[in-house]
Parts: sequence; C-alpha cells; structure tokens
Amino acid sequence: MAHAVEPEYTTTGLNHRKLLMWVFLGSDCLFFGALIATYMVYRGQSLVGPYPIDIINVPVTTISTFVLLMSSFAMVQALAATNADDKRGIVSWLLATAFLGAIFIGFQVVEFNAFKNEGLTLGGNLFGATFFTLTGFHGAHVTLGIIWLLAMAILAAKGRVGSKTALDVELVGLYWHFVDIVWIVIFTLLYLIGGFDTGPVALPGG
Amino acid sequence: MAHETEQEIHHPSFKQYLLIAIILFAITIVEFLLIWDRVGISDDLGASKIPLLVGLSVVKFYIVIMFYMHLRFDDKLFTRIFIAGLALAFLVGLALLGLFTAMNGDQRSYALDRAVPYEEHAETEKAAEETTTPATGETTETETTPIVSGPVAIAIGAVGETLAFDTASITADSGAEVTITFTNPSANNQHNLVIVEAGTKDAVAADGTAAGPANDWVPPGDARVVANTKLLDPGASGEVTFTAPAPGTYQFVCTFPGHNFTMFGDFVVN
Repeated sequence: MAHAVEPEYTTTGLNHRKLLMWVFLGSDCLFFGALIATYMVYRGQSLVGPYPIDIINVPVTTISTFVLLMSSFAMVQALAATNADDKRGIVSWLLATAFLGAIFIGFQVVEFNAFKNEGLTLGGNLFGATFFTLTGFHGAHVTLGIIWLLAMAILAAKGRVGSKTALDVELVGLYWHFVDIVWIVIFTLLYLIGGFDTGPVALPGG
Repeated sequence: MAHETEQEIHHPSFKQYLLIAIILFAITIVEFLLIWDRVGISDDLGASKIPLLVGLSVVKFYIVIMFYMHLRFDDKLFTRIFIAGLALAFLVGLALLGLFTAMNGDQRSYALDRAVPYEEHAETEKAAEETTTPATGETTETETTPIVSGPVAIAIGAVGETLAFDTASITADSGAEVTITFTNPSANNQHNLVIVEAGTKDAVAADGTAAGPANDWVPPGDARVVANTKLLDPGASGEVTFTAPAPGTYQFVCTFPGHNFTMFGDFVVN
C-alpha cells in the first residue's frame, strides 16, 4: 500500500482508488435506493400482522442511531490522527469506531430477535419481507465495515498506517460514513415516519 | 498533480468536527421529539411533520457528506459521481412508486381476495392441490350429483377486539340445511356475517355501506348474497339458516364498513 507516497499520473488528476471508492458508493446508492423504494411501495400493504405500530420501538432505535452517529465522529478523529502520524490515536480511534459499530449491530440483533418473537418474519408479510431485507443488508454493510476497521487497526498497531498511507484510512472512513447516511435515511423512513403505520389502509378501488 | 490535490485538502479541526457531531445529535433529538407522542408536538403537527422529518434528515445527510466525507473540500468530480448515483437511485424509487401506485387498485383487490394468514398457508395449499388434482381437463366432473346430508350446525366467532373471524374456512355439502351461529365477543364493535359469491366480498361490503345500518350493512335483494345474520351488537350472537348452494367456494365476510378487508373466510360447498 506504500505506493500512495508517489504522486501517480492519472488523466483526471485524482487518485484512482479514491475515485473508485466514490464510484462504488454512487452505485451502492442505487442498491439501497432500490430496497428503500421497495419498502415504500409495499408500505401499508401487509394484509396480516404484525404491523409496524405493533413492534417498532422508536426510543430504542434512536439510541442506536446516536451510537452510529458517534462512531462517525470517532472515524473522522481516526483520520485526523492518521494525518498527524499519531499511532496511538489511530489505533484507539479506529477501535472506538469499530466498537460503536459493534454496539449498533448488537442493538440490531436484539431488535431482530424481538421482532421474530412477535411474529415478524421474512416470509410472513410484506412489512417483514421489505423491512428485514433493507435493514439486514444495512447491517451486513456495517458488519463489513467493522471487519475493515479492525483490520486497519491491526495494521496501525504494527506501525504500518500513517500520514503517507492516510488514503487507506480515508477510504474506510468514506465507506463508514456512507453506511451512516444510509441509516439516516432508513431511520427517518422506517422508524420516524413508517414506525407508526397500522394495518391495511383501505384504498380507493381496493 | 494528484499529489498537489491531496495536499490542498484541509480537513476541519477537532473543534469543528465536534460542533458537527453536536449538530447531528441535536437534529436527531429534534426528530425524536417531533414524533414522540408523549411530548405532544406530534399530534399538533399531524401529517405536516413528515416533510419536516424528511427535511431534517436531508440536512443531516448533507452535513455528513460535505464535512465527514469532506466533499466540500474535495475535487468536484467526487461530488458529481456520488450525486449521479444518488439521483439515479431517486429516479428508481420514483419509477417504482409511480408504477405501483398506478396499478394499486387491481393489485390490491386481487391480493385481498386471496389473503390467507401465514400459518394457514400450508393447509390452504394442500387443500387446493386436493381439489385440483382429480381434474384432468374438466373441472367439476365428479360433483354433478350433490350429496344431500343432514342439517349442519356451524359455530363461529370473532377474535376478541381484532377485526377477524376465529375460523378461516367452513364447509358444508351442497343442498344441506346449514345453521351458522355467529357470536360477537367484542366489547366495542358491531359485526355481522354475510355469505357471498366468491371474490365479491369487497364489492358487497361497499354496496352494504351504501345500504346503511338500517339494512344491517347488507345490500337488500342482492343476488351475490347467499345468506346473512343480523347486525350483532357487542356481546350478542345470532343465527342464520339457509340451504347450501351449488358446489364451489364462497366467502363469508363482515360487511360493517372497513371490516371486510381483514374479517372474512372461505365457505366451501362440496
């Protein structure tokens, strides 16, 4: 990874790896966009329960949203420490980010389990199918981010991460913040707005 | 060139990052207060809080990509690439929503007529297989001579305060005298039980709504209605006796306005 030291010639004048990360994030927007759109299309269309109002716990998820926002703050500190060649800072902020991400996943595991016990399953109704697919894929993104962060923390502990390879930390940071903004959208649509949806809505012609 | 660009990026200071984090926290707290009904703002705002919530999340989104992901200090090409993906995702969403809203009427009534609570799914599929397998081309070949058996008594109820019958399917032989006793256990809701032709429950319920409570929410003299109980007050029960019609699948439904979407079942005549 040490090749980042040398200025590389590119037609855009931009680093290829960073450009690639932004292209990936742009395409990941489409991935989540499709899942979010599917949720919105089937919102209020479940014919059998449980419905969002029966199970969605907004206060608990507000706490886990705080935790994820806090992890983004830890992430920018990790990048700042990297630019300052502060080895202890890099390792501890990366671990803090991963730890907060793990707490978020812990909340999700508890939530999924509680929902399952209340009868919400992937195949039970449209709400369950669209909810678990969307939040599950988001959780998978977070999990992948945690693994990436931990790998980076190990490299940092070995002294292989510093201002000359700051791009490595910057890329994991971009990915991590992206996962955070996806959650901002999910939290608003599925919890704050959709979390109080009741049973079938009688539609004109329906 | 690339090197220079990297050097030019100046990241916000610790204090600025902390300020951004505090702003993000504050917005999330405001969002929570907006929807939490114990605060009391939620009811006052009604539906107008939805654009407010969307707006607040857009602000958070913008702050994170501009500062935490430092698009504001970076080359504009990164912003363009990301916005392009975001715009395409938005278009996919609009297209899907537009498409499904356009077909909603048909799609929904189709689904409602065939909705079966999940636990009963397996049984229904098995039953469907049994009725379809003997048919090799012609459908109701074996059922030309209805077997008239003795009178059938069926008891049925509703599930507490939920808008659902406690039975998903009832059966009788064609020509038999059927007596259905329907008990309404609810403390609040009025219910009735109407036997209708297959697939007509929502249409009959709509006409029943027009007929009004004086007609027990049932359209008078309607050919689609096989039989019906009176409108039952909370805690009451009522009976209806009729001769089971020609073999086939019928529906039973509560036609009290709105109940028909969840409160119905199949009446199978053999």
